[in-house]
Amino acid sequence: MTVSAQVPARSRFAGGLRLKLFAYALVAPVVLLILGLVAYPFLFAIWVSFTDMVIGSVGQFVGFKNFQYLAGTATFWSAIWNTVTIVLVSDGLKLAIGLGLALLVHQKLPGRGLFRSFLMLPWAMPAFVAFLTWRVLYQPIGGGINLILTQTGLYPQVIDFLGQRQTAMASVIAASVWRGFPFWFVSILAALQSVPKELYEAAIVDGANAWQRFWNVTIPSILPVIIVTTLLSSIWTANGFEHVWLLTAGGPSDATMVFPVLAYFGMQTQRIGEAAAVSVYMLPVLAILVIFATSLMMRREE
Amino acid sequence: MTEGTKNQKTGWTRRRVLGTAASGLALAAAGGFPMPAIAQGKKLTYWGGLIFSDDANKLLTDTINAWGAANGVATEVVMINQNETTQKVSAAVSSNSMPDALDMGLGLARLLARQSQFSDLGDLYKKIGDAQGGWFTGPDTATDLTADGGIARVGIPFGVNGNLLLRRKDLLEPAGFTEPPKTWDELVTQAEAINKPPVSGLGLALSNVGDANLQVAVLQSFGGRIADDAGKKVTLDTPETRLWLTWLKNAWDKGLFSPGNTTWDGAGDNQAYLSGQAGFIANTGSVGIAARKDDPELFQSSAFSPLPGGPKGIISPIDVQVRAITKASAMQDEAKALLEHLSSPEFMNAYFNVAIYGPVLAAQEKLQAFDGTNTILVGLLGLAKNGTAPAYPDVNNAAFADFNSNFLIPKLAQRVVVDGWDFDKAIAEAQAQGQAIYDKYA
Repeated sequence: MTVSAQVPARSRFAGGLRLKLFAYALVAPVVLLILGLVAYPFLFAIWVSFTDMVIGSVGQFVGFKNFQYLAGTATFWSAIWNTVTIVLVSDGLKLAIGLGLALLVHQKLPGRGLFRSFLMLPWAMPAFVAFLTWRVLYQPIGGGINLILTQTGLYPQVIDFLGQRQTAMASVIAASVWRGFPFWFVSILAALQSVPKELYEAAIVDGANAWQRFWNVTIPSILPVIIVTTLLSSIWTANGFEHVWLLTAGGPSDATMVFPVLAYFGMQTQRIGEAAAVSVYMLPVLAILVIFATSLMMRREE
Repeated sequence: MTEGTKNQKTGWTRRRVLGTAASGLALAAAGGFPMPAIAQGKKLTYWGGLIFSDDANKLLTDTINAWGAANGVATEVVMINQNETTQKVSAAVSSNSMPDALDMGLGLARLLARQSQFSDLGDLYKKIGDAQGGWFTGPDTATDLTADGGIARVGIPFGVNGNLLLRRKDLLEPAGFTEPPKTWDELVTQAEAINKPPVSGLGLALSNVGDANLQVAVLQSFGGRIADDAGKKVTLDTPETRLWLTWLKNAWDKGLFSPGNTTWDGAGDNQAYLSGQAGFIANTGSVGIAARKDDPELFQSSAFSPLPGGPKGIISPIDVQVRAITKASAMQDEAKALLEHLSSPEFMNAYFNVAIYGPVLAAQEKLQAFDGTNTILVGLLGLAKNGTAPAYPDVNNAAFADFNSNFLIPKLAQRVVVDGWDFDKAIAEAQAQGQAIYDKYA
């Protein structure tokens, strides 16, 4: 009896183990792929930031030397300030424009389908083309904006938008907002369309005016989407390279220097360890944003 | 139905799935490993520097392939954009996939030579030099890496480039200036005479790009130095640096620089000149070639001359393009023979005619390319003969290269003209940042 009772149990155990192994085997290629394509480069970059690697040599471990050197440069602190400024201001503007346009297009207007498509154009345009176009528009001589300003008499003097400290950052932010607001617009519009009409009807019955309906019904309903969009957009903006590189290359006088451009300059000097250290400096903040965004999105899916 | 018959009917068991997956993985893994060299056959891989002249790129590719066909050597030519050579070589070094031979600038060659990436080409260098009247002093000195402590000759020079002054003679001659400016002060005087919108007198970059490092040469011609003779201590805080900044600020305050030049990219000066918005630019000759092709009228209205000088004379640094053979190459003899072939007068004459390099060998001065009909090549010939060694009078070491890659002199200029800092404050910042860079190499 004892023997006959043990055999099925062992068999069940062996069957379960085989099933688990089978499952692991199926997942293994994907896990290996992710480890190879994501984890390895990520960890390798962290390792490199602690070395004096230059092109052609594997480099020696130098501890925090690269980080100390960077922290001692004025450019590094400019990059911190500018990156924070660009993220806060441009994402704030993208939110305002995206929300405003989404509310407008959410109304029953004639030709709103066409209008929606039109608003998506900046996002559909390749970043390279978009920012080079903006660069041409900003040109002091022959640039579209200066032509409009001078020929209409709005401002008689030519403005060197990208070449002076007072206007360079604002110009970069304006171009960045133009390219990035459609993502906000589309996300918020989708959220608006999912707000139940009954909520508005109940609010009207309760005597709520338009502002009260917006503040107490619309905003709470779309807030999760706004938060996720903010986090994603902040990550992309902080990591963004082309908008600054193509417009100002971080100048003039580091007025628009940001971390990705600083890292690129590190690569140009062929000191890969330092370039990696610039990127690693950004990691903690970006990691927090990524974790927040991921957990929020997973919660929404649940 | 038994378990066995069920499996036979469906055809797919767990075991079979696993077996198939394992087979697939094994095949994929096998594909990922290189086959033995003997099975692949030997092929000489050459990375050529892709320049903007299609004719030059094609000529190089065709010549190498024709040489391979004539000598029974399989060849593969990969043209790499010169702006991307560093990144490509970096990846190739890391993955042990360097080509057998390649073109590159002297800076990268020097860096890789320190990592012992290249073969000793001393014999070949001497052989080519002896056969063609010897090497010009500039390229000869610049490519001698003896001071670095490794192999003295890792590259065979094939072209010199550097900055020439390009000017609008159609605007300058009516203003009474028939000769090119000999000094930087004369340049300002001439630029001022033609500085009427939309033309700006000086199309010189002051941004974070390599073109703006022209100001290093200007500073040096005013007597300034980046570092001391030992190449260790930064020496920017001097009266000579202030003299240069005075010259620069004076020209800036007169509104002579092209608007936007503090954020120009590498093509900023090209575009300013080709669009008729700059009276003078300093350029390697690429603008002249573009003008000759696309705007012959502008080309006819332009003239080339050496860079002006300062109180300490003319500082006109040359850069030298070299061809090198990687140490890991299994085809050392074939690669050397190819490099010798590529130094032949026949090929180089044809190449000079379509590229924008000056000569490196004395005998090349007699080639048809430099007979005086091509004004750009005449300018480059002058540069090859009279240009100063890279970094001169500073020490051409890794710290100097790093200093320039961080654009500290253009940034010093930006502090003065963009931020309005006084000279002392701007120099103090550049001095500190420069010393921090030099200290890394101490």
